[in-house]
Amino acid sequence: MKGFKLEGVTVKDVVTYPDLEIKGGMTTFITGASGTGKSTLLKLLNGILTPTTGTVYYGGCEVLTVDPIKLRRQVLLVSQSAVLFESQSIKENFHLFFDYRESVPPSDEDIQACLNRCAIDISLDKQVYGLSGGEKQRVFVGIHLALGFDVLMMDEPTSALDEKNGDLLLAQLKSYCEEQRKTLIVVSHDKELVDRFADEVMTLGGMP
Amino acid sequence: MPDLLNLQQFALIYVLLVVILVIMKKCNINQSKLVIVASVRMTVQLVLAGVVLTYIFAYPHPLLTTVYLIAITGFGIQMILARNRALNRKFKLIIGVSTVTTGLIILAFYIIIVLDDHFFNPQLTIPLSGMIMGNAVSGVALGLKTFEENLQAKRHQIDVLINMGVTPQKALLPLINQAIETAILPTIITMTSMGIIKLPGMMTGQMIAGAMPMTAILYQISVIIAIAAVTCLSVFCTLYFGYRTLWNERNQLLI
Repeated sequence: MKGFKLEGVTVKDVVTYPDLEIKGGMTTFITGASGTGKSTLLKLLNGILTPTTGTVYYGGCEVLTVDPIKLRRQVLLVSQSAVLFESQSIKENFHLFFDYRESVPPSDEDIQACLNRCAIDISLDKQVYGLSGGEKQRVFVGIHLALGFDVLMMDEPTSALDEKNGDLLLAQLKSYCEEQRKTLIVVSHDKELVDRFADEVMTLGGMP
Repeated sequence: MPDLLNLQQFALIYVLLVVILVIMKKCNINQSKLVIVASVRMTVQLVLAGVVLTYIFAYPHPLLTTVYLIAITGFGIQMILARNRALNRKFKLIIGVSTVTTGLIILAFYIIIVLDDHFFNPQLTIPLSGMIMGNAVSGVALGLKTFEENLQAKRHQIDVLINMGVTPQKALLPLINQAIETAILPTIITMTSMGIIKLPGMMTGQMIAGAMPMTAILYQISVIIAIAAVTCLSVFCTLYFGYRTLWNERNQLLI
């Protein structure tokens, strides 16, 4: 299970990170005030951004030496706000994202299993435009689960969900990652979520 | 052939501008100054073009035709670049090269192969290059505008796809295809209405100047197809090769 290490990383003289290590196979929460570079850190870890100075390591290798597309497929970043194709059904959305990745789409059973893991039980033929914000968010996370990963990074994953569904989603994701020996990295402001689900907490910009 | 238009008769057409100004005043459209400036600019620019063309037609020389071609192409590219200052240098270079190359290829094909004439015959090359390069420039400008607007509207979707490990090429391609379609559609729609809703300007001009309708129509059809081809080709080359400059070797978007 590969982890991450940051050494002397800065981004455009705006963010300076302390040297830090994120262990593989654990659930790590990243917290900190706004502007301390939490979301930027996720983009550094999957190679969406290159640090201005310093080095990011993944599994002991410099991120810059890893094929960026392969890296992003292993270290999957779930954006804060869901993006789905509104005029398509849930199943068609899964297929479209797989088409973009030029991968074989999952079976209906696999899609349903991924949705169940995201605490949503819904017909695959339902049109996305009829879903609530919370349902869209969970379908969006479900698509990421179906795509597969070694590390799942989530930026404020419960922002569109009520407390109960947010808790349920994180509990199921954490248990899935533990079973599958995957790494889960979550950026969150919610102290209660951190207390409940974090194996490790990393606070950027000093104490929260 | 009708009598040649004399200057007094010609001056009467400006009376119609008064109609425009009156309607604008009535509708509180505060653009009267623009109408006057546009009319004066058009008159001066076309008179100057007339003087230049009279000289070039009287003393035809490949060098003069070449200079004219360079000038109109340069102005056209300058117009596109002025509206797209934010693009990177490589993309701008691709815009210039694509517009010039595709424009010249279609122009050469039309004059040398279809019309079986000399490429530097100013009487053919100059008016045709104006039409062909003008349409290439408008098509590229419209294609770029559509691409930029769609990119802005779908930026989050593109970022999500790239986060998922989709290549920037694959993520951006639908926007490129849509921009190409938007840029060439007006020309195709114009083709469908031609001859029914309107008689095109070039054909009308030829007939007023005394050409037989069938001759004018053959020229018009061939020019419209050349225009459709140059629009499609220039927009395709600009966007298809240009959008590849929008990410780096780490597949990170540079925009």
